[in-house]
Amino acid sequence: MSGNLLHRPSILRRPDGIGGALPALTLIALFFVVPVLALLLRSVTEPVPGLHNYATLFGDGTYARVFFNTFLVATVVTAVTVVVAFPVAWMLAIMPPALGSIVFGIIILSMWTNLLTRTYAWMVLLQRTGVINRTLMDIGLISEPLPLINNLTGVTIGMVYIMLPFMILPLVGTLRAIDPMTLRAAALCGASPFDAFRRILLPLSLPGIAAGGLMVFVMSLGYFVTPTLLGGISNMMLAAMIAQMIQSLLNWGLGSAAAFILLLVTMALYALQLRLVGARRMTGGI
Amino acid sequence: MLLDYDRLGWLRAALLGFTGLVAAFLLLPVVFIVLLSFGSSRWLAFPPPSWTLKWYGELFADPAWLEAALTSARIAAMAAILAVVVGLLASFALVRGQFRGRNVLRGLLLTPMVLPVVVFAIAIYAFFLRIGLGGTTAGFVIAHTVLALPFAIIPITAALESFDKSIEDAAIVCGASPFEAKLRVTLPAIKIGIFSAAIFAFLASWDEVVVAIFMASPTSQTLPVKIWGSLRQDLSPVIAAASSLLVLLTLCLMIVTALIRRKLSK
Repeated sequence: MSGNLLHRPSILRRPDGIGGALPALTLIALFFVVPVLALLLRSVTEPVPGLHNYATLFGDGTYARVFFNTFLVATVVTAVTVVVAFPVAWMLAIMPPALGSIVFGIIILSMWTNLLTRTYAWMVLLQRTGVINRTLMDIGLISEPLPLINNLTGVTIGMVYIMLPFMILPLVGTLRAIDPMTLRAAALCGASPFDAFRRILLPLSLPGIAAGGLMVFVMSLGYFVTPTLLGGISNMMLAAMIAQMIQSLLNWGLGSAAAFILLLVTMALYALQLRLVGARRMTGGI
Repeated sequence: MLLDYDRLGWLRAALLGFTGLVAAFLLLPVVFIVLLSFGSSRWLAFPPPSWTLKWYGELFADPAWLEAALTSARIAAMAAILAVVVGLLASFALVRGQFRGRNVLRGLLLTPMVLPVVVFAIAIYAFFLRIGLGGTTAGFVIAHTVLALPFAIIPITAALESFDKSIEDAAIVCGASPFEAKLRVTLPAIKIGIFSAAIFAFLASWDEVVVAIFMASPTSQTLPVKIWGSLRQDLSPVIAAASSLLVLLTLCLMIVTALIRRKLSK
């Protein structure tokens, strides 16, 4: 009779099984895993079985340029995003809440506004006769309009704009978790603000920077809309090339092979990120 | 002292100034597009020579815009409901289940968020062509549910993790059936998570362009596809008018979210 009140009915001891996940699992298996695997299969079977699609992709200078472009843009976008996001996240982490909530509101508004709307705005802002060029000419900084669109500059501006919230929001969490006492202690021990930044604040926020940076990099690699609209035809990125191969050229073999390369790179980086921060932490972003 | 707002000294002014600049940068396109939609210049000159409502007139005169918006809303609503229901069931298993491969399952269910949309778009496009779902509303909803699922699972699992299961157990000890306890104790407790899930899932579908471009047919065209098509032709100010309405919608959504969260968390 011992512990009668604490004796839990057997029904309580039975943990939830995998059952609840079955609808989701079915959905993902049938309409995500199977189609993606079928696509992968097409890359080695069309038009004839073999690895020639991959040989073409790696052997041709045109495709090499697209791969190079894609990695270049993703790297530049990630670097700029990290540098711009860090000070903002730093301020947001310690700002008075009243002031901070205004900045948070602006970030959410920007993030939730329709992607095409934001990209359209940048297309108009950055064009030859757009506001930015006109303003710069009016104040005499430049005499000729700068080429800001249909090149990598335009893609970088547009992409940084879209990626900033994804970098700022997780970083705020990382910075808030740092105990201010560690920095007070550093100051008491005679560290200059620069030393304290370089040897304490930066190293302690490095996990957040790495996680956010990796996420921005991965998202940038496969981004379709903004690079297509702001980059023009001569600066095609991988996602746009894949879409074009399928939609306009109907070259399923080559398109699937390019898609599979993108998938491999993305998944490898995703796995790296999971190892860095763990699946739990990753989901803290939303 | 770097994390003490009151003791940052000159650095605070510099950082605040920079934060202000970034906030302005984030706000610029949103404000610009709204102002532009009231400008009279067809060539999008800014500041506009005069102000007008004619682009809104053109927008409402073309039934294709309204139709596209309704199609989008219908698909997004169905995808959001499906994603929340399926995601809610899955979340219980992911948070409380004790089975091998739970973390693998979590990773798998979140993968649609990570995989570049263009890869999924061509894969599902090919798949639906083969099984006869190409260009159908059902196909659209299924594809968008897959993409929305991670956005539903993340907030619900987060809410479920911070919910103390012994409260649910108490209800069962007091005579509720396990189902009843979940329905009347646990669900009300995690309603903020479910509500966030619904909003995120809706937005994931409502804003989705890439799958929609491939799936679209003349009969089912979503709003992003309509905007995309117009953008590729010219930068007509009518798009600015449509965009401004989308900004207004976002603002409404933010306000409603804030209000409901405040109400629910009381």
